[in-house]
Amino acid sequence: MALPNQQTVDYPSFKLVIVGDGGTGKTTFVKRHLTGEFEKKYEPTIGVEVHPLDFFTNCGKIRFYCWDTAGQEKFGGLRDGYYIHGQCAIIMFDVTARLTYKNVPTWHRDLCRVCENIPIVLCGNKVDVKNRQVKAKQVTFHRKKNLQYYEISAKSNYNFEKPFLYLARKLAGDANLHFVESPALAPPEVQIDLAAQQQHEAELLAAASQPLPDDDDDQFE
Amino acid sequence: MSSADPEHREEEEAPAVGDDEDTGAHVAPIVKLEEVAVTTGEEDEDAILDLKSKLYRFDKDGNQWKERGAGTVKFLKHKASGKVRLLMRQSKTLKICANHLILPTMSVQEHAGNEKSCVWHARDFADGELKDELFCIRFPSIENCKSFMETFQEVAETQKAEDEKESSDAAGLIEKLSVEEKADAEKKDEEKSEDKTVEKESASGKESKAVEEPASSA
Repeated sequence: MALPNQQTVDYPSFKLVIVGDGGTGKTTFVKRHLTGEFEKKYEPTIGVEVHPLDFFTNCGKIRFYCWDTAGQEKFGGLRDGYYIHGQCAIIMFDVTARLTYKNVPTWHRDLCRVCENIPIVLCGNKVDVKNRQVKAKQVTFHRKKNLQYYEISAKSNYNFEKPFLYLARKLAGDANLHFVESPALAPPEVQIDLAAQQQHEAELLAAASQPLPDDDDDQFE
Repeated sequence: MSSADPEHREEEEAPAVGDDEDTGAHVAPIVKLEEVAVTTGEEDEDAILDLKSKLYRFDKDGNQWKERGAGTVKFLKHKASGKVRLLMRQSKTLKICANHLILPTMSVQEHAGNEKSCVWHARDFADGELKDELFCIRFPSIENCKSFMETFQEVAETQKAEDEKESSDAAGLIEKLSVEEKADAEKKDEEKSEDKTVEKESASGKESKAVEEPASSA
Protein backbone atom coordinates (compact mmCIF):
# COMPACT_ATOMS: atom_id res chain seq x y z
CA MET A 1 0.00 0.00 0.00
CA ALA A 2 1.75 3.14 -1.23
CA LEU A 3 1.19 6.27 0.80
CA PRO A 4 1.57 9.82 -0.50
CA ASN A 5 5.17 11.06 -0.52
CA GLN A 6 6.47 7.68 0.54
CA GLN A 7 9.01 5.71 -1.40
CA THR A 8 7.38 2.53 -2.63
CA VAL A 9 8.94 -0.79 -1.64
CA ASP A 10 8.02 -4.25 -2.87
CA TYR A 11 7.22 -5.58 0.59
CA PRO A 12 4.47 -4.58 3.04
CA SER A 13 4.89 -1.16 4.62
CA PHE A 14 2.86 0.75 7.19
CA LYS A 15 2.56 4.30 8.41
CA LEU A 16 3.22 4.34 12.14
CA VAL A 17 2.40 7.53 14.03
CA ILE A 18 4.30 8.18 17.26
CA VAL A 19 2.83 10.73 19.65
CA GLY A 20 3.21 11.81 23.26
CA ASP A 21 4.48 14.69 25.36
CA GLY A 22 7.83 16.29 24.63
CA GLY A 23 10.78 14.63 26.36
CA THR A 24 9.12 11.23 26.79
CA GLY A 25 11.65 9.57 24.49
CA LYS A 26 9.88 9.20 21.15
CA THR A 27 12.86 10.24 19.05
CA THR A 28 15.33 8.40 21.26
CA PHE A 29 13.28 5.21 20.91
CA VAL A 30 13.18 5.46 17.11
CA LYS A 31 16.87 6.29 16.94
CA ARG A 32 17.72 3.30 19.12
CA HIS A 33 16.13 1.09 16.49
CA LEU A 34 17.59 2.93 13.52
CA THR A 35 21.24 3.21 14.51
CA GLY A 36 21.58 1.47 17.86
CA GLU A 37 22.53 4.77 19.48
CA PHE A 38 21.08 6.04 22.72
CA GLU A 39 20.73 9.80 22.45
CA LYS A 40 21.05 11.42 25.87
CA LYS A 41 20.73 15.03 24.79
CA TYR A 42 17.19 16.32 24.41
CA GLU A 43 16.50 18.08 21.13
CA PRO A 44 12.81 18.76 20.53
CA THR A 45 11.49 17.38 17.27
CA ILE A 46 10.07 20.10 15.05
CA GLY A 47 6.99 19.12 13.08
CA VAL A 48 7.64 15.54 12.09
CA GLU A 49 10.54 13.33 11.06
CA VAL A 50 9.79 10.22 9.04
CA HIS A 51 12.14 7.25 9.29
CA PRO A 52 11.75 3.91 7.50
CA LEU A 53 12.38 0.99 9.83
CA ASP A 54 12.64 -2.54 8.44
CA PHE A 55 12.21 -5.86 10.23
CA PHE A 56 12.60 -9.42 8.99
CA THR A 57 9.86 -11.77 10.10
CA ASN A 58 9.01 -15.41 9.53
CA CYS A 59 6.52 -13.99 7.02
CA GLY A 60 9.04 -11.91 5.15
CA LYS A 61 10.33 -8.38 5.35
CA ILE A 62 8.13 -5.52 6.55
CA ARG A 63 8.64 -1.79 6.93
CA PHE A 64 7.27 0.79 9.34
CA TYR A 65 7.41 4.41 8.24
CA CYS A 66 7.89 5.96 11.67
CA TRP A 67 6.29 9.39 11.84
CA ASP A 68 8.09 10.78 14.85
CA THR A 69 6.08 13.87 15.78
CA ALA A 70 6.70 16.94 17.88
CA GLY A 71 5.58 16.50 21.47
CA GLN A 72 5.93 20.14 22.41
CA GLU A 73 2.96 22.32 21.49
CA LYS A 74 5.09 25.13 20.05
CA PHE A 75 6.72 22.76 17.56
CA GLY A 76 3.52 20.94 16.73
CA GLY A 77 2.99 22.17 13.20
CA LEU A 78 0.23 20.48 11.23
CA ARG A 79 -0.42 17.88 13.88
CA ASP A 80 -3.64 16.38 12.52
CA GLY A 81 -2.06 16.33 9.09
CA TYR A 82 0.66 14.00 10.36
CA TYR A 83 -1.96 11.48 11.50
CA ILE A 84 -3.78 11.16 8.17
CA HIS A 85 -3.61 7.59 6.81
CA GLY A 86 -1.89 6.37 9.97
CA GLN A 87 -2.24 2.57 10.07
CA CYS A 88 -0.90 2.03 13.58
CA ALA A 89 0.34 4.16 16.45
CA ILE A 90 2.45 4.42 19.57
CA ILE A 91 1.57 6.79 22.40
CA MET A 92 4.63 7.42 24.56
CA PHE A 93 4.72 8.66 28.14
CA ASP A 94 7.53 8.91 30.67
CA VAL A 95 7.07 6.89 33.88
CA THR A 96 9.25 9.42 35.73
CA ALA A 97 6.96 12.35 34.84
CA ARG A 98 3.38 11.98 36.03
CA LEU A 99 2.07 14.76 33.82
CA THR A 100 3.03 12.87 30.65
CA TYR A 101 0.74 10.01 31.67
CA LYS A 102 -2.05 12.45 32.56
CA ASN A 103 -1.85 13.81 29.02
CA VAL A 104 -2.19 10.40 27.37
CA PRO A 105 -6.00 10.69 27.05
CA THR A 106 -5.61 13.91 25.09
CA TRP A 107 -3.12 12.33 22.68
CA HIS A 108 -5.40 9.35 22.28
CA ARG A 109 -8.45 11.52 21.61
CA ASP A 110 -6.68 13.64 18.99
CA LEU A 111 -5.22 10.58 17.30
CA CYS A 112 -8.51 8.67 17.17
CA ARG A 113 -10.30 11.63 15.63
CA VAL A 114 -8.22 11.08 12.52
CA CYS A 115 -7.33 7.38 12.68
CA GLU A 116 -10.25 5.13 13.43
CA ASN A 117 -9.81 1.54 14.57
CA ILE A 118 -6.06 1.19 14.21
CA PRO A 119 -3.85 -0.85 16.57
CA ILE A 120 -2.28 1.38 19.21
CA VAL A 121 0.44 0.62 21.73
CA LEU A 122 0.80 2.69 24.88
CA CYS A 123 4.44 2.79 26.02
CA GLY A 124 5.67 3.76 29.47
CA ASN A 125 9.30 4.71 28.82
CA LYS A 126 12.33 5.13 31.13
CA VAL A 127 11.51 2.17 33.38
CA ASP A 128 15.27 1.84 33.93
CA VAL A 129 15.16 4.94 36.15
CA LYS A 130 14.97 4.07 39.84
CA ASN A 131 12.60 6.77 41.07
CA ARG A 132 9.63 6.32 38.82
CA GLN A 133 6.53 8.39 39.48
CA VAL A 134 3.96 6.33 37.60
CA LYS A 135 3.84 2.78 38.95
CA ALA A 136 2.88 -0.08 36.70
CA LYS A 137 -0.25 -0.64 38.78
CA GLN A 138 -1.36 2.92 38.20
CA VAL A 139 -1.40 2.53 34.43
CA THR A 140 -4.98 1.69 33.57
CA PHE A 141 -5.88 3.87 30.57
CA HIS A 142 -5.06 1.12 28.09
CA ARG A 143 -7.73 -1.16 29.53
CA LYS A 144 -10.40 1.48 29.22
CA LYS A 145 -9.57 2.22 25.61
CA ASN A 146 -8.42 -1.21 24.41
CA LEU A 147 -4.80 -0.31 23.82
CA GLN A 148 -1.85 -2.60 24.36
CA TYR A 149 0.59 -1.47 27.05
CA TYR A 150 4.32 -2.10 27.35
CA GLU A 151 6.76 -0.84 29.91
CA ILE A 152 9.92 -0.05 27.99
CA SER A 153 13.34 1.49 28.33
CA ALA A 154 15.01 2.98 25.28
CA LYS A 155 18.17 3.14 27.40
CA SER A 156 18.38 -0.48 28.55
CA ASN A 157 16.50 -1.87 25.52
CA TYR A 158 13.99 -3.47 27.88
CA ASN A 159 10.99 -4.55 25.78
CA PHE A 160 12.21 -2.28 23.00
CA GLU A 161 11.10 -4.63 20.24
CA LYS A 162 7.68 -5.39 21.72
CA PRO A 163 5.71 -2.41 20.36
CA PHE A 164 6.79 -3.19 16.79
CA LEU A 165 6.18 -6.91 17.16
CA TYR A 166 2.71 -6.31 18.58
CA LEU A 167 1.76 -3.92 15.79
CA ALA A 168 3.14 -6.24 13.10
CA ARG A 169 1.08 -9.12 14.48
CA LYS A 170 -2.08 -7.02 14.54
CA LEU A 171 -1.60 -5.63 11.04
CA ALA A 172 -0.98 -9.12 9.65
CA GLY A 173 -3.62 -10.83 11.79
CA ASP A 174 -1.03 -13.40 12.84
CA ALA A 175 -0.37 -13.89 16.55
CA ASN A 176 2.54 -16.20 15.75
CA LEU A 177 4.47 -13.76 13.60
CA HIS A 178 7.97 -13.26 14.97
CA PHE A 179 11.23 -11.56 14.10
CA VAL A 180 13.93 -13.64 12.42
CA GLU A 181 17.55 -13.07 11.45
CA SER A 182 18.22 -10.45 8.81
CA PRO A 183 20.10 -12.23 6.02
CA ALA A 184 23.84 -11.73 6.49
CA LEU A 185 25.35 -11.37 3.02
CA ALA A 186 28.90 -12.59 2.56
CA PRO A 187 31.19 -9.56 2.86
CA PRO A 188 33.19 -8.96 -0.33
CA GLU A 189 36.97 -9.18 -0.44
CA VAL A 190 38.70 -5.89 0.19
CA GLN A 191 42.04 -4.67 -1.10
CA ILE A 192 44.46 -3.49 1.56
CA ASP A 193 45.90 -0.02 1.12
CA LEU A 194 48.96 0.35 3.34
CA ALA A 195 48.72 4.13 3.62
CA ALA A 196 45.05 3.93 4.58
CA GLN A 197 45.83 1.17 7.06
CA GLN A 198 48.41 3.29 8.83
CA GLN A 199 45.92 6.13 9.08
CA HIS A 200 43.29 3.78 10.52
CA GLU A 201 45.77 2.54 13.10
CA ALA A 202 46.53 6.10 14.18
CA GLU A 203 42.82 6.91 14.39
CA LEU A 204 42.20 3.72 16.34
CA LEU A 205 44.90 4.60 18.84
CA ALA A 206 43.27 7.97 19.47
CA ALA A 207 39.77 6.47 19.61
CA ALA A 208 40.87 3.80 22.09
CA SER A 209 41.38 6.50 24.72
CA GLN A 210 37.87 7.95 24.36
CA PRO A 211 35.41 6.69 27.01
CA LEU A 212 32.43 4.55 26.10
CA PRO A 213 29.04 6.29 26.34
CA ASP A 214 27.70 3.97 29.03
CA ASP A 215 30.95 3.27 30.87
CA ASP A 216 29.27 3.39 34.26
CA ASP A 217 26.56 1.02 33.11
CA ASP A 218 27.58 -2.63 33.13
CA GLN A 219 24.14 -4.00 32.40
CA PHE A 220 23.85 -6.72 29.82
CA GLU A 221 20.42 -7.72 28.60
CA MET B 1 18.48 -20.20 16.87
CA SER B 2 16.56 -17.03 17.53
CA SER B 3 15.78 -17.81 21.17
CA ALA B 4 16.00 -14.73 23.36
CA ASP B 5 18.00 -14.66 26.57
CA PRO B 6 15.90 -14.26 29.69
CA GLU B 7 15.84 -10.69 30.88
CA HIS B 8 16.84 -9.64 34.36
CA ARG B 9 15.24 -6.49 35.63
CA GLU B 10 14.75 -5.42 39.20
CA GLU B 11 11.10 -4.58 39.72
CA GLU B 12 9.74 -2.47 42.52
CA GLU B 13 6.42 -4.26 42.22
CA ALA B 14 4.83 -6.77 39.91
CA PRO B 15 3.72 -5.24 36.63
CA ALA B 16 0.00 -4.83 36.25
CA VAL B 17 0.15 -6.10 32.70
CA GLY B 18 1.50 -9.49 31.71
CA ASP B 19 3.64 -9.03 28.63
CA ASP B 20 1.69 -11.55 26.61
CA GLU B 21 -1.75 -10.36 27.59
CA ASP B 22 -3.45 -8.67 24.67
CA THR B 23 -5.52 -5.73 25.88
CA GLY B 24 -5.74 -4.17 22.46
CA ALA B 25 -8.89 -3.80 20.42
CA HIS B 26 -9.66 -6.28 17.68
CA VAL B 27 -8.73 -4.67 14.39
CA ALA B 28 -9.10 -6.18 10.95
CA PRO B 29 -5.71 -7.15 9.52
CA ILE B 30 -4.71 -5.04 6.53
CA VAL B 31 -2.19 -7.41 4.97
CA LYS B 32 -2.09 -11.13 4.35
CA LEU B 33 1.39 -12.54 4.86
CA GLU B 34 2.49 -16.06 4.06
CA GLU B 35 5.20 -17.86 5.99
CA VAL B 36 8.51 -17.91 4.12
CA ALA B 37 11.73 -19.87 4.54
CA VAL B 38 14.25 -18.01 6.69
CA THR B 39 17.69 -17.42 5.19
CA THR B 40 20.17 -16.27 7.81
CA GLY B 41 23.18 -16.24 5.50
CA GLU B 42 25.06 -18.41 8.00
CA GLU B 43 24.01 -21.78 6.57
CA ASP B 44 27.44 -22.60 5.12
CA GLU B 45 29.41 -21.56 8.20
CA ASP B 46 30.46 -22.95 11.56
CA ALA B 47 30.53 -20.71 14.62
CA ILE B 48 33.96 -20.79 16.26
CA LEU B 49 33.09 -18.16 18.87
CA ASP B 50 29.71 -17.00 20.15
CA LEU B 51 29.55 -14.39 22.93
CA LYS B 52 27.18 -11.86 24.37
CA SER B 53 28.47 -8.32 23.89
CA LYS B 54 27.80 -4.68 23.21
CA LEU B 55 29.14 -3.00 20.11
CA TYR B 56 30.10 0.62 19.52
CA ARG B 57 31.28 2.53 16.48
CA PHE B 58 33.47 5.62 16.60
CA ASP B 59 31.81 8.79 15.37
CA LYS B 60 34.65 10.88 13.95
CA ASP B 61 32.58 14.05 13.60
CA GLY B 62 31.66 14.00 17.27
CA ASN B 63 34.93 12.37 18.35
CA GLN B 64 33.01 9.88 20.47
CA TRP B 65 31.90 6.27 20.65
CA LYS B 66 28.26 5.58 19.80
CA GLU B 67 26.35 2.43 20.55
CA ARG B 68 25.68 0.19 17.60
CA GLY B 69 23.82 -2.59 19.38
CA ALA B 70 23.71 -5.15 22.16
CA GLY B 71 23.47 -8.83 21.32
CA THR B 72 25.67 -11.70 20.19
CA VAL B 73 28.98 -11.62 18.33
CA LYS B 74 30.15 -14.65 16.36
CA PHE B 75 33.18 -15.69 14.39
CA LEU B 76 31.86 -17.76 11.50
CA LYS B 77 34.14 -19.98 9.47
CA HIS B 78 33.01 -20.87 5.96
CA LYS B 79 32.92 -24.63 5.51
CA ALA B 80 34.31 -24.55 1.97
CA SER B 81 36.60 -21.51 1.75
CA GLY B 82 37.83 -21.49 5.35
CA LYS B 83 37.42 -17.73 5.46
CA VAL B 84 36.27 -16.31 8.76
CA ARG B 85 33.99 -13.37 9.32
CA LEU B 86 32.76 -11.51 12.35
CA LEU B 87 28.98 -11.23 12.54
CA MET B 88 27.14 -9.44 15.31
CA ARG B 89 23.37 -9.45 15.70
CA GLN B 90 21.23 -7.34 17.96
CA SER B 91 19.09 -9.15 20.52
CA LYS B 92 15.35 -9.48 19.88
CA THR B 93 15.23 -7.78 16.49
CA LEU B 94 18.11 -9.94 15.15
CA LYS B 95 19.31 -7.13 12.94
CA ILE B 96 22.94 -7.01 11.88
CA CYS B 97 25.29 -4.68 13.78
CA ALA B 98 28.55 -5.74 12.13
CA ASN B 99 29.51 -8.04 9.27
CA HIS B 100 33.08 -8.16 8.01
CA LEU B 101 35.83 -10.58 7.12
CA ILE B 102 38.79 -11.11 9.44
CA LEU B 103 41.77 -10.26 7.24
CA PRO B 104 45.47 -11.06 7.75
CA THR B 105 46.28 -7.38 8.19
CA MET B 106 43.77 -6.88 10.97
CA SER B 107 44.57 -6.69 14.65
CA VAL B 108 42.66 -5.92 17.82
CA GLN B 109 43.87 -3.91 20.80
CA GLU B 110 42.62 -3.11 24.27
CA HIS B 111 40.45 -0.10 24.92
CA ALA B 112 42.40 2.28 27.14
CA GLY B 113 39.76 2.84 29.78
CA ASN B 114 38.01 -0.50 30.04
CA GLU B 115 39.58 -3.95 30.46
CA LYS B 116 36.43 -5.70 29.24
CA SER B 117 36.61 -3.86 25.90
CA CYS B 118 38.78 -3.89 22.80
CA VAL B 119 38.96 -1.96 19.56
CA TRP B 120 39.70 -2.62 15.87
CA HIS B 121 39.23 -1.21 12.39
CA ALA B 122 37.20 -2.96 9.71
CA ARG B 123 35.60 -2.46 6.31
CA ASP B 124 32.10 -3.27 7.47
CA PHE B 125 29.30 -4.69 5.30
CA ALA B 126 26.47 -4.59 7.86
CA ASP B 127 24.33 -2.25 5.76
CA GLY B 128 25.08 -4.01 2.49
CA GLU B 129 27.81 -1.60 1.42
CA LEU B 130 31.44 -1.44 2.49
CA LYS B 131 32.12 1.24 5.08
CA ASP B 132 35.23 2.03 7.10
CA GLU B 133 34.46 1.69 10.79
CA LEU B 134 36.38 1.81 14.04
CA PHE B 135 34.67 -0.66 16.35
CA CYS B 136 34.78 -1.17 20.08
CA ILE B 137 33.22 -4.21 21.71
CA ARG B 138 32.46 -4.71 25.36
CA PHE B 139 31.92 -7.97 27.20
CA PRO B 140 30.30 -8.91 30.52
CA SER B 141 33.66 -10.24 31.78
CA ILE B 142 37.40 -9.82 31.33
CA GLU B 143 37.66 -13.51 30.43
CA ASN B 144 35.24 -13.16 27.52
CA CYS B 145 37.13 -10.14 26.25
CA LYS B 146 40.41 -12.08 26.34
CA SER B 147 38.78 -14.99 24.57
CA PHE B 148 37.54 -12.67 21.82
CA MET B 149 40.93 -11.00 21.39
CA GLU B 150 42.80 -14.31 21.31
CA THR B 151 40.42 -15.81 18.77
CA PHE B 152 40.58 -12.66 16.64
CA GLN B 153 44.39 -12.75 16.56
CA GLU B 154 44.48 -16.50 15.91
CA VAL B 155 42.06 -16.16 13.02
CA ALA B 156 43.99 -13.25 11.49
CA GLU B 157 47.24 -15.20 11.70
CA THR B 158 45.60 -18.30 10.26
CA GLN B 159 44.20 -16.27 7.37
CA LYS B 160 47.69 -14.90 6.74
CA ALA B 161 49.13 -18.40 6.58
CA GLU B 162 46.37 -19.54 4.26
CA ASP B 163 46.80 -16.52 2.00
CA GLU B 164 50.49 -17.33 1.67
CA LYS B 165 49.68 -20.96 0.95
CA GLU B 166 47.16 -20.01 -1.68
CA SER B 167 49.57 -17.75 -3.52
CA SER B 168 52.47 -20.21 -3.38
CA ASP B 169 50.31 -23.18 -4.34
CA ALA B 170 48.45 -21.42 -7.13
CA ALA B 171 49.71 -23.97 -9.62
CA GLY B 172 49.30 -26.85 -7.21
CA LEU B 173 46.65 -29.53 -7.10
CA ILE B 174 43.29 -28.76 -5.47
CA GLU B 175 43.54 -31.87 -3.34
CA LYS B 176 46.99 -30.94 -2.10
CA LEU B 177 45.78 -27.42 -1.30
CA SER B 178 42.83 -28.63 0.76
CA VAL B 179 45.00 -31.02 2.78
CA GLU B 180 47.48 -28.27 3.56
CA GLU B 181 44.70 -25.86 4.52
CA LYS B 182 43.43 -28.38 7.05
CA ALA B 183 46.96 -28.85 8.29
CA ASP B 184 47.29 -25.11 8.81
CA ALA B 185 43.99 -24.93 10.65
CA GLU B 186 44.99 -27.73 12.98
CA LYS B 187 48.65 -26.98 13.58
CA LYS B 188 49.17 -23.25 12.86
CA ASP B 189 52.73 -24.38 12.21
CA GLU B 190 54.47 -23.45 8.97
CA GLU B 191 57.57 -25.62 9.34
CA LYS B 192 57.99 -27.87 6.37
CA SER B 193 58.79 -30.93 8.46
CA GLU B 194 55.43 -30.56 10.22
CA ASP B 195 53.66 -30.18 6.90
CA LYS B 196 55.24 -33.37 5.64
CA THR B 197 54.19 -35.24 8.77
CA VAL B 198 50.61 -34.04 8.40
CA GLU B 199 50.55 -34.93 4.71
CA LYS B 200 51.57 -38.50 5.53
CA GLU B 201 48.83 -38.69 8.13
CA SER B 202 46.14 -37.13 5.94
CA ALA B 203 43.65 -39.91 6.70
CA SER B 204 43.95 -39.49 10.47
CA GLY B 205 43.85 -35.73 9.97
CA LYS B 206 40.48 -36.05 8.27
CA GLU B 207 39.24 -38.27 11.07
CA SER B 208 40.18 -35.78 13.76
CA LYS B 209 38.58 -33.02 11.69
CA ALA B 210 35.36 -35.03 11.53
CA VAL B 211 35.43 -35.51 15.29
CA GLU B 212 36.04 -31.80 15.86
CA GLU B 213 33.15 -30.57 13.76
CA PRO B 214 30.28 -31.71 16.03
CA ALA B 215 32.05 -30.10 18.98
CA SER B 216 32.42 -26.78 17.21
CA SER B 217 28.79 -26.74 16.15
CA ALA B 218 27.59 -27.53 19.68
